[in-house]
Formats: sequence, C-alpha cells, structure tokens
Amino acid sequence: MTGKKLAVIAAIILSGMCVLPLGLGIYPQHVLIVSLFYVMMASSWNLLAGYTGQVSFGHAAMAGIGAYTSGILAVKAGLHPWIGVCIGTAIAALLGFGLGALCLKMGGIYLSLTTLAFSQILHIVIVNEYNVTRGTMGLQVPGLMDEYSKITYYYIMLAAAVLILAILYRMIHSNLGLNFRAVQNDEAAAKSVGVRVLRVRVLAFTVASAMAGFAGGLYGHYLLLITPEIPSLDLQFKVLAMTVIGGMGSFLGPILGAFALNILEEYIRVYGEYHVLVFGLVALVVARFAPNGLTGLWRKFRPVRTQPAVKQI
Amino acid sequence: MALLEGRNVSKSFGGVQALSQVDFTVERGTIVGLIGPNGAGKTTLFNAVAGAFKPTSGRIVFDEADITGLPANAVCRLGMARTFQVTRPFGAMTCLENVMVAAINRHPQKPRAFIESMAREKLSFVGLAEMEGFEARHLNVIQKKRLEMARALATEPKLLMLDEVLGGLNTQEISQAVEFIRSLRDQLGLTVLWIEHVMGAIMQAAERVIVLDQGQVLMAGTPAEVVNDPRVIQAYLGE
Repeated sequence: MTGKKLAVIAAIILSGMCVLPLGLGIYPQHVLIVSLFYVMMASSWNLLAGYTGQVSFGHAAMAGIGAYTSGILAVKAGLHPWIGVCIGTAIAALLGFGLGALCLKMGGIYLSLTTLAFSQILHIVIVNEYNVTRGTMGLQVPGLMDEYSKITYYYIMLAAAVLILAILYRMIHSNLGLNFRAVQNDEAAAKSVGVRVLRVRVLAFTVASAMAGFAGGLYGHYLLLITPEIPSLDLQFKVLAMTVIGGMGSFLGPILGAFALNILEEYIRVYGEYHVLVFGLVALVVARFAPNGLTGLWRKFRPVRTQPAVKQI
Repeated sequence: MALLEGRNVSKSFGGVQALSQVDFTVERGTIVGLIGPNGAGKTTLFNAVAGAFKPTSGRIVFDEADITGLPANAVCRLGMARTFQVTRPFGAMTCLENVMVAAINRHPQKPRAFIESMAREKLSFVGLAEMEGFEARHLNVIQKKRLEMARALATEPKLLMLDEVLGGLNTQEISQAVEFIRSLRDQLGLTVLWIEHVMGAIMQAAERVIVLDQGQVLMAGTPAEVVNDPRVIQAYLGE
C-alpha cells in the first residue's frame, strides 16, 4: 500500500472514530474508551513480543506502575493528574529499561518467567501496602478535568491512542523497525551483520513500558478508582490474547484484536465467569485456523503479490 | 601487517578442547582456505574470530585492532562479515529486507532510497535480483547461501569469511562459484577466509591453505604444498 493511500484510509477511520461516540449512549462510550486503552496496551506489547520476540508478562504491571504513580502523586502530593501521568510514564520507562537490561541474556521462556515474577511481586506489594495504595479496596483518584465528561475522556483516549500508534508506526517503518525484526528472526545473524542486539532489545523494552505506563496512567484517571486489577495477570493475558488473535507482528493486528475482544467481552458478560471459557474457545479456534491472527487470515486470502512492497502493515 | 592474525587461540567447551593454541595469519587481498577433517575446529575458529563467542585464551588481531572477545556486531562494524554453515536468514523478512538490515547498520544516516538501491545491487550481484520480494524462508538452500553472501557484502567488509558455501552444488556450479569468489577479491578487493570441504575448489581459488586437525594447526602453505604433505594425507585418510 502506498503512503498516500494509507494516509487517506487512516484519515477516514480516524474521522469515523471522531463521530462514532456522538450517537451512542454512555455505556457504549465507556466500552469504546476501555477499548482504546487496550489498543494502546496491545499495540505496545506487540512491539516487544511481535517485533523483537520478547514475550514479556510484565506489561500490565507497567500500566499499573503508570496508574499508581500518577494516582498516588495526585492523592498524597496533590499533583495535577497530567503531571502525574507524565511522571508515571517516565517511571515505567525507567523500570522497563531495568527489566529489559535484566532480561538481556535471556530468551524465550526465561524472559517470560522473569517478567512474570516482576509482575507478581508488584501485585503483592500493591495489595499489601494498604496505607499507600489502599490495597484491594482501590485508590480513589481525581479525574483529568474538573467536570466529569465521558465524551471528553473519549477524545483524550483517542488522541492518546493515535499518538501511541503514530510513534509505533514510525518506529516500525524506520531503520529501527528493520533491526527489531532482524533480532526477532535470528539474534546471532542480526549480530553478525552489525545490529546492536542488546541496545535494540532494551530500547524496545523501554519504549513499550513507557507506553504501557502512559496508557495505565490515563486509564486510572478515567476510572477514578485504581485497583490491583490493572497490574494483574488477567489484564496481561487479555492483552496477550488480543495481540495474538489480532495478529502478532502486524501493525493492525493488535488494534483489531483489542476492539474485537473487548466488545465481545461485553456481549458474553451475561455468562458471568463462563465468559473466560468463551475467550479460551475463541483463542483456540483462531490458533487452529488462523495461526497468524485476523490480519494473517486477510493476508492468506488476498491475491498473491508478485512484488511485495518493502513496507508491510 | 596481516589483515587478520590469531595468536595462541584456544577454546574449550567444558572438558572438550575444540581449539588449542592456534596461530594463523591472513594477508590482505588473499584468498585463504581453511580445511580439515570433520570436527577439526574450523567453524569454532570462525566463531571465535567473528565474535560469536570469546576464545578461552589467546589474541585475535584484525586490521591492527585487538578484537579478542568483542561482540559480533562490533567486529562486523570493524569490517568483518561472515556466512553461516547452516544458513541463518531472517526467515520472515523479504530478501531485500534481509540485505537492507546489513546496509542500514553500515550506513545508519543514509536515506532509505540509498539503502534500498544498495541492497538491490548486492542481491543482483549474487543473482537473486528477482527474488527481492520473497520471504527468505521460501528460498532453497543454495539461494539462502547466496542471500547470506549478499547480506555479508552489504556490510561492506574488508574480510569475508565463508563457511562451506559450495555444499550441494554440482561440478559446473562449483566452478562458477569459484569464479564468483575470485571476483570478490579481484573486483571488490576483499580478503577471503574460506572453510570448504570441496578440496578441488579450494585448490583452484586459494593462495594459501590452513589445515586444522583436532583443534590444532597441522600445517599452512600453498595448495600444492598442502596436498602433497604426508601429514595432511594421513589426517584425511588415516594410517
């Protein structure tokens, strides 16, 4: 797809997204806002898992870091939420840098286990440090603006998601993106042609974590109540499922997956705890019939190009 | 001074002494063959030189710089490129992208158009021009070897290290490949260090041959000296 055509399609979708909530009620608006949070989470996790092959289970934890940092600063120090979100993003980036550096020499399952441990430790600390975090009761935090308005929150989340996606798109289509994919495909070969593998991996961790922290911070100030549900494995696996079902390693995949699963969840909510079962079934069916996700399915049935362009989405 | 020099290079894996006190030199502008029976340590020597792992002891000097223990990416930036015995293409990337990865790390500041045309040039140099849009995993073994060669060339090396590039070729293809490797030296001014099992090819193309056996240098000399040496014959054929 040429850049111009792509820009036109993006503009059409974006204007559609701008008008979409106007005709909807409060509840569908809420669902869309949450979906946009998941778009940011899944897309940034995709940078780690889909583009550099680092399957981190600490991504929801980073969103938790962003949310709690900003929330605690607002409650205890009276800082304005926007400043708090910025600080939360920075702290998530810093921790992402540390976690990435810790996992440098690890691949595959070892990296996943280390990040899983990080996520669990954080969860335990948040639940137990009741005086600071209010534990499982949740921390009540102020909103982003004085007067609560769903539609304003929607536009803020939309702008944030567009910002994150634009940064990701630019990265993926730059030299860095080629290096990311080279590292994912074969680390030893990447090294042999001069890719600074360690730097590339840590960079991906730092950027993805910052994005999760940013998304988590905004989400917390939207919910007005930050609970340990944000840095939880439930949320982590939901992000994972969205990315995998949408199509790991593709730009559009996580976006589609986030909307699809989050909206699906609303429809199956009536089944209570059984909705997890439906999630599992969806994941199973996708894994069997579309191992490369929804976007992979599209690529499979599209007529074969004799001259695939270098740029792919 | 020689382009590449190894002094007392040793490498052991646990209790296995893969290389012991190997000394060798590769002069600028030459094609040097590295031969030896299976398990002699040829690929281990390659890996130690190219930075895939650190030698247990000894020193490696490349282009007047001590590169002992430097990581592979740093060694590559200094001008050393390699291919792998078992090919390692970036499978899910197109051939063009494979070569572009090498090019962008040599020229990080250059615009995309320059990188793409450089990558295309290298692809057509190895005869893969029509394959540029195909994902590398779809290539056959011989094409994968060529792709690795193009990728290595796109790092603009001074020294190219080839690890068994002739496997699976017929006689006619071998003589074409030999011509090709000669042209690397004659046209691009490269120095080539070349592991190969196809003796005839090494004998035609190389000026010097290093023979490894059981992790040690058995001898080094001209191809004619090597084939007539009783120690070499014994190493290959036994008593």
